[in-house]
Amino acid sequence: MRIHQNGRRPAADGIVIAGGGLAAQRCAETLRRCGSEEPIRILCAEPHRPYDRPPLSKELLAGGKDPRALSFREPEWYERSAVDLLCGVAARRLSPGDRRVETSDGSVLRYRKLLIATGGRPRTLAPLLGYQNVLTLRSLDDALELQGRLSSGPRLAIVGAGFIGLEIASTARGLGADVTVIEAAPAPLQSVLGESIGAWFARLHDQHGVDMRLGHTVARVHAQAGTVRGLTLADGSTVAADLIVVGVGTDPDVDWLAGSGIGLPGGVKVDPNGRSSCPDVFAAGDAAATYEAGSGTYLPGSHWEAAARQAAGAARLMLGLDPGRPPAAAFWTDQYGLRIQYLGRSRPGDGVAVDGDPEANDFTATYTRAGRVVAVLAVNRPRALPAARALIERENP
Amino acid sequence: MTYTVQIDTRACAAHGDCVQTAPSVFELDDVARVIGTGPDELLFAAAEACPSAAIALIDTATGELVYP
Repeated sequence: MRIHQNGRRPAADGIVIAGGGLAAQRCAETLRRCGSEEPIRILCAEPHRPYDRPPLSKELLAGGKDPRALSFREPEWYERSAVDLLCGVAARRLSPGDRRVETSDGSVLRYRKLLIATGGRPRTLAPLLGYQNVLTLRSLDDALELQGRLSSGPRLAIVGAGFIGLEIASTARGLGADVTVIEAAPAPLQSVLGESIGAWFARLHDQHGVDMRLGHTVARVHAQAGTVRGLTLADGSTVAADLIVVGVGTDPDVDWLAGSGIGLPGGVKVDPNGRSSCPDVFAAGDAAATYEAGSGTYLPGSHWEAAARQAAGAARLMLGLDPGRPPAAAFWTDQYGLRIQYLGRSRPGDGVAVDGDPEANDFTATYTRAGRVVAVLAVNRPRALPAARALIERENP
Repeated sequence: MTYTVQIDTRACAAHGDCVQTAPSVFELDDVARVIGTGPDELLFAAAEACPSAAIALIDTATGELVYP
């Protein structure tokens, strides 16, 4: 489906954006606002216009949001902005030497600059593949499918206590489902937020009636006629379930870059403004692995804010403009009506100081390393964020 | 061009990104509020930074909605 065809195929190669999510949209908007009149083509693999993903596991799943309201822009915007949005067309092959992208509809697009924003796809677990009642959540269609299944009041088992798994648990409890969460680590989010805050998340879900099976892995799948009926965990305990959601992280969707010399299994290596090692190729969002000076490593994926800003930075660089200084890493999650916000990046071994009352779900946790504040988690304290952000950026130049 | 900044206070979820992006324009109470103004590019950056899409920019001269 071609939402907008930009008149006659232009002579100039212009900008090609592979992918149709937040990063793609933000790149196109920034290019136009910064005065670019080049052709812009967006290869949006999904049948939907670019839309916002965070509500998929929250408001949309809860049934309180019209799916159409998730679109960033109406069709008219693409027309008015002369952005050629190719829905249902995916990038299939990249030849950086001659600046060509081959697409799933058989065409070849030449580019002056390319943004790789093909996002990520949910990891699966081999023993749970091929059953009709085992789902993952990434796209709008995934969310609508899960929403439909939750309406019958199933016993839901969620494998993986990451952000997606915990948000689905929260929403599903709100809809009255019986929910069990199975997580291999002894606490949810332990590798991201540390043991004590992980334990707070575990308690929060426990208090809301989720059966938290922590430190457990799935040992056996009991199925009948393509339908999982229950799971046996490694300690021999069992979980009866009508519906399973696997939430064990995502992998960058970069298979299409095989053979291009760009884009390894961990994602396209870029700087915080999306610059890759190839001068005309940028990447942003979950398809990217972004260099972090603090640790000297490339970190996979990125959250909403980082994806948006990285794509905007890449757009400015494409036009030869100063991308500005990348801000501190940040993300948020909403669970059981609590706004949980996190800034910066902590590592195992950082000190954690809590201010406020975790029992009352009203606190900030400050992570320090060698006397420096490196990260802050705020639960129901959004007003603490601006000062925390300034502090983290000052102490981690 | 000058823009008028409007915050949809029902949509605002107090993420605080606007304050971070444009501290001369926004302040955070239970929701964000407008306390000043700034250059167009800064207003756009703040509007775009909002995860709740709660910030609208209106061309003061024509009344036309320019963002979102």
